[in-house]
Amino acid sequence: MNNRVKNYQVNRIRETSQGHSLIPPCQVACPLHMEIGKYVDLVAQGKVLEALQVIREGNPFPSICAYVCTHPCEDACRRNQVDKPISIRALKRFAVEFGGDRMIELEAETTQDEKVALVGSGPAGLACAYYLRKLGYPVTIFEAYSELGGMLRVGIPRYRLPREVVDTEVQRLIHMGVEIKTNTRVISIDLLFDMGYKAVFITVGAHQSLRMGIEGEDSPGVIDGATFLREVNLGLKPALGKEVAVVGGGNVAMDAARAAVRLGTSKVSILYRRSRTEMPASPDEIEQAMEEGVETMFLVAPIKMKRENGRLSVTCVRMELGEPDTGGRRRPVPIEDSEYDTEFDTLITAIGQAPQISEDFRLRLGRGSTIKVDPVTLTTNRTGVFAGGDAVTGPATVTQALASGRQAAFCIDDYLHHRYPLVDKEAEETLSGELSPKTIEMIRKIERLEPPLLSPETRTKEFKPIEQIYNWEAAVDEARRCLRCGMGAEIMFQDKCATCLTCLRVCPYHVPYLDEWGTIQIPADECQACGICVAECPARAIILRKPYDRRHIDEELEHALRSAAESKSKPLIIGFCCQYGLFGTGTLASLWRESRAGIWIVPVLCVAKLEGEHILRAFEMGAEGVFIAGCGEQCSRENTAFWVLQRVEEVRRTISQIGLEQERVQTFNLRAADDDITEALDNFTERIGGLCLASVIEEEVKS
Amino acid sequence: MIVAEQKSLEEIKRVIAPYEKVLLLGCGTCVTVCGAGGEREVAFLHSALRVAQVRSHDGIHNFSEYTVKRQCDFEFLDVLEDKVNEVDTILSLGCGIGVQVVADRFPDIPVLPGVNTSFMGMAKEWGVWDERCAACGDCRLAETAGICPITRCTKAILNGPCAGTKNGKCEANKDMECAWILIYKRLERLQQLEKMRRYYPPRNFRVIPRPRRIVMRADVESGGDNG
Repeated sequence: MNNRVKNYQVNRIRETSQGHSLIPPCQVACPLHMEIGKYVDLVAQGKVLEALQVIREGNPFPSICAYVCTHPCEDACRRNQVDKPISIRALKRFAVEFGGDRMIELEAETTQDEKVALVGSGPAGLACAYYLRKLGYPVTIFEAYSELGGMLRVGIPRYRLPREVVDTEVQRLIHMGVEIKTNTRVISIDLLFDMGYKAVFITVGAHQSLRMGIEGEDSPGVIDGATFLREVNLGLKPALGKEVAVVGGGNVAMDAARAAVRLGTSKVSILYRRSRTEMPASPDEIEQAMEEGVETMFLVAPIKMKRENGRLSVTCVRMELGEPDTGGRRRPVPIEDSEYDTEFDTLITAIGQAPQISEDFRLRLGRGSTIKVDPVTLTTNRTGVFAGGDAVTGPATVTQALASGRQAAFCIDDYLHHRYPLVDKEAEETLSGELSPKTIEMIRKIERLEPPLLSPETRTKEFKPIEQIYNWEAAVDEARRCLRCGMGAEIMFQDKCATCLTCLRVCPYHVPYLDEWGTIQIPADECQACGICVAECPARAIILRKPYDRRHIDEELEHALRSAAESKSKPLIIGFCCQYGLFGTGTLASLWRESRAGIWIVPVLCVAKLEGEHILRAFEMGAEGVFIAGCGEQCSRENTAFWVLQRVEEVRRTISQIGLEQERVQTFNLRAADDDITEALDNFTERIGGLCLASVIEEEVKS
Repeated sequence: MIVAEQKSLEEIKRVIAPYEKVLLLGCGTCVTVCGAGGEREVAFLHSALRVAQVRSHDGIHNFSEYTVKRQCDFEFLDVLEDKVNEVDTILSLGCGIGVQVVADRFPDIPVLPGVNTSFMGMAKEWGVWDERCAACGDCRLAETAGICPITRCTKAILNGPCAGTKNGKCEANKDMECAWILIYKRLERLQQLEKMRRYYPPRNFRVIPRPRRIVMRADVESGGDNG
């Protein structure tokens, strides 16, 4: 059990690489290395339960990430190079909600003796507790505030992360047997060791706002961002007055500004000393803040403040951008004689935060008063004391904190078992990031569907979550945009390859090429995994790196044929339908598995992967008719309809020589706007019934 | 490359009719490339034959399938040794050469052709093959600008074009290019039109004895003191 959980990530990667698939850029970018490609594909098939399962395997608290993840995966998504990235976070939210994440109950058994203490209950602490419980350790969380969650509770405003979500996850941890001590500030690590804890994980976060270091900073009416958000999140309503200024350009500044809007201030301005392009806050946040009426003043910095007549008089100076600093951002330089005075009721400073580590912990600190740790083992200068989360990195994202918590759990496990730390040799083979221009040109551009947001007018009235969930069809359509990086075709049997150039000629994306030695190469970086070359290869030398797709048709077909044989309803009609277009959107869901007499549906992951043999197999097993229902022009891949028709013609030619009518094989377009698929299908069934009857009569006459 | 075309299902059914256990034998070279008898086609034919058997309710055949890298060399056929003992016939989807070599290699078993070997040619594009060479054994392409009138002219004349050419097309088939017009245009482009102005006497095909054999190796004594 231990090793299973611990080597989870390594195992997963090995498992997938058995199918030769390469790790896609989204997975590489994810701090938790979640199998994004896999769950997005499952959502595209309408399989939310399975998608949620994949998500839960890689993420202890998917419901939290579904709301607040800053989705570095989307920045790495290669669809960026074509149009816009897949909306991965929103799809996760969809899977979490529709997959019934809140119903999931977790249990854990205590199999280890060594107690572990966690100081702080932010995302890193909670994740560490989750994995330590899975590994079987007794875990106690010490939390200084009255409620668990750290920044999830006191930092992130409710409109971005509803408190119920955090509550659910906390309840789940309690159910797993995590001991919780709230309102308990740990003042000494020695004390914890005295209490019998064998290892300690320090994850106290970075709650201390940085000071601007200017005159009048301590005047009444000046409040720091972290404190302000904490007060708001704990349900207090700080009196802000009418006009509020927020200093800073990060996510905390955005949160503070948008929280201020929701508290009913009439005007909120953000003062930022650089320009919009340098703003560290996520672009969505900035966009949404502006929609909500937050004003932004760029290239401005306050230099002096004074409380006068019940208002705050602020002297600002204008800036210009100078040379780039070490971080690559251009350094703001004050413009001489550009000072001007302005007035606000309240000024919120949000220029950064740092951890506040008690000296009594006797931990070695580094830059920005963060705890110094070994990046691989997360060990501090004290034996048995580990640290992670914002306390180590400085303010970072929730997902990074979760990853750090997970890493800590495994490191603590190693430490307690006197094992040499396991270095995660992550995926030897990853995908290079760039698509070639000619592939990009051939990839169909499909608009990214954003989940609906509440209108700025409604959402600024209260702290309700502003983002809605996709509906089923939108989620499926969005997920289908995935380019399936790293799952593409490869020449599995180079010795079989006759270099016939079929793959090169049939590929809609012009991916295969002849190298200078006359060998066909299918670069994994470019392949879109449509499967056309796999079905067309006359030597059967090509497979998809995700071999499941073809096996899937065989298995589903045999399953349908077996069930059909049992049910004995006549005439038997087999329908090969695109799983993406069919069940995903429910177009033909009413047809699912003999909801209509005699019709058995075989879901295929795109009809382009269907081979003539599959159709013949259906006839061999007694089918009277076969139809193929694809998505026509709606298909997210190119040329699929053309290839389906090619194979259908091949089969029609063949069965007509056997004495079967060609019309027994029919194609339908699931997504045709004007055609009613159910009606077309009724006609087809009727015709097959007629043909069937005719042949029976013929037999009778003969005998 | 040799281009072949699979025989009709009806014909195949007819030739295998007397035999119970049939090995469908594909070839991984030319017929794979031209989509007539590679592994994919063998599998498809296998399925089709099974459907035919089920539908005609007279199931007597027992099919198996295998594809070798090349049927026209004995060495590639060694792997079949065990398999052929278990079957009554081999339906070879190799070209005519393959069928004969398989028959030669396994003298005790009937070998049947599953494809019609059509010509030597090239893939014009995916799914379209054109004849290009007649293997006449006396290549004149140097004089005809790399375009073979023996294969590409319906009449195979050496001094064309004939009077039947019209708008660059052949009188025998309006969709077919006249080979001699192509030759003329290409010679013009190469500034070698003088080659059109010569007369090529008819060739005497009787001087080529059939079947032909080419011996590459020199006739030297083996062994002795020379080694």
